[in-house]
Amino acid sequence: MSGVWIISENRGQSLELLNIGRQLSTKMGMRVAALLYQDREHVEDCINHGADEVMLLPPLSSEQPPESYIPVIIEEARKGEPDLILLPATPRGKNMAALIAARLNVGLVSSCTEIDFDEGNKTLVMERLAYGGAAVQKVICTASPAMATIPPRTYEAAMPETGRQGHVRELPSPSLSAIKVIERKVKEREAKNITEARVVVCVGRGIEKEEDLAIARQLAEVLDGAIGCTRPIAEEFHWLPEDLCIGLSGVEVKPDLYIGIGVSGQVQHVTGIRNATVIAAVNKDDNAPIFKAADFGIVGDLYDVMPKLIAELKK
Amino acid sequence: MPSIVACFKWVIDEAYIRRGPSGELDFSSVDYKIGEYDRNAIAETVRLKETLGAKAIALTVGLPEATKGVKDALSRGTDEAYFVADSSFGNLDSSQTALILAEVIRTRIKQYDLIICGEGSSDLYAQQVGPRLAEQLGIPCISFVQKLSIAKDQLVAERRVEEGIEVITAPLPALVTVLPDINVPRIPGVKETLMAGKKPTVKIAKDELPPLSGPLLRTISLKASRMERNCERFGTDTAEIARFVGALRKKGVIG
Repeated sequence: MSGVWIISENRGQSLELLNIGRQLSTKMGMRVAALLYQDREHVEDCINHGADEVMLLPPLSSEQPPESYIPVIIEEARKGEPDLILLPATPRGKNMAALIAARLNVGLVSSCTEIDFDEGNKTLVMERLAYGGAAVQKVICTASPAMATIPPRTYEAAMPETGRQGHVRELPSPSLSAIKVIERKVKEREAKNITEARVVVCVGRGIEKEEDLAIARQLAEVLDGAIGCTRPIAEEFHWLPEDLCIGLSGVEVKPDLYIGIGVSGQVQHVTGIRNATVIAAVNKDDNAPIFKAADFGIVGDLYDVMPKLIAELKK
Repeated sequence: MPSIVACFKWVIDEAYIRRGPSGELDFSSVDYKIGEYDRNAIAETVRLKETLGAKAIALTVGLPEATKGVKDALSRGTDEAYFVADSSFGNLDSSQTALILAEVIRTRIKQYDLIICGEGSSDLYAQQVGPRLAEQLGIPCISFVQKLSIAKDQLVAERRVEEGIEVITAPLPALVTVLPDINVPRIPGVKETLMAGKKPTVKIAKDELPPLSGPLLRTISLKASRMERNCERFGTDTAEIARFVGALRKKGVIG
């Protein structure tokens, strides 16, 4: 069956990919198939949300990683000849997508933020960011299937429809992979809070010592917001966990209000906040790039400004 | 002696890219650098070299100007470098880069136990060269690794996944892509920079390689991204802070 394929790890990802998959397949006059390998119980859900076919990958032993499925997926793709394959731009999704693209010898658009079907040329035009977010790149895949990874939360979840029918089919078991999982450490991710928070207070290098994070926490408390940080704070100083790192290589946040405290505003970081409704910043460097990206900026020493700001907000 | 190959890309430093008057990218005052994430790949290679007594090999493909990057990679502690240069290599796509790297590793480097790439290049950040290279070589690929060790003929890696961390074992040779939090790359000193000039570099020209296949991705436009914000400035006295808070309230983003 030709059409749009989505390959996802969980229900949330499936529904977002089904949304864009459905939009495109309608324009292209095609069907949507979902390959599921973990949330097998969501077969009906996928069909109700737009899948015309669900392909089920059999469960793996605990030491086999999902990448083991790749040979089976390749086999199906060669038989089924999809026109477009979509995966979530999560670490696993990106890795699987690149391995699949390599084996199929096709192009893959990484972290694609927009896909349009050009009806005149019958091509998919895909958009993504480049140069740390300083540029927008539009690309076309020259071989079929076209492939893309889509960052989580780029699209809303698909809406359910009643009375939908879909075909369900089991795929064969994969052979054992040389890569083995010997342990899984499930982490309570704090990132969930910052991706959902309406206010995000972000700490940058302008904060001089770890104890001073208290200032940012106070502000976050007053505003009922969540704390995030720039890369050096997590990766060099280890003051905050790396999953609170906002930016192109970290999490993207879309709050109503973002306040950067001592954040210089490197392009990779700014890319991670570009969908915030309002961006505010406090920085003593008048030339800090954050001021070009901010709606409201206070040029001043954060150690002087923050107590005044907190006091004013408490009024 | 085990050999570890660090792949890197010499890229435009994006901090110097300006937006031109009609939205085009202005590269007139840019500088170049080894991609941020690739510095972690080199640092991890050198760390393992020191702990295992391995040979550290730097490998890059790019424009002839990338020779500066080769010297930088050597000054960061790698022992020798392989450099595939051509004036047409400025816009290779991930699949083409992986093909060239695989060819050099197979036919020139030959002996290797581990290949380390950054999680992505800091210019296009497609994050595909590592996995595509592993597929070309038919070796296991472990992406987004934040902790790495080698024991006998296998590697143990902690890789980041959505739900947390997976601890992985894989037989060698293998390829890993590393996350920035795996290490803090050191800045080379004067002595290291001087020594780098004396280390061997194997230069490979385009015509020494099999003909290159066409790109699998075609860029149809590349424009400066738009970031339209108010850019209103405030002072630091209490009246100004009150005006700032007032501005936020007016936007309805705080209570």
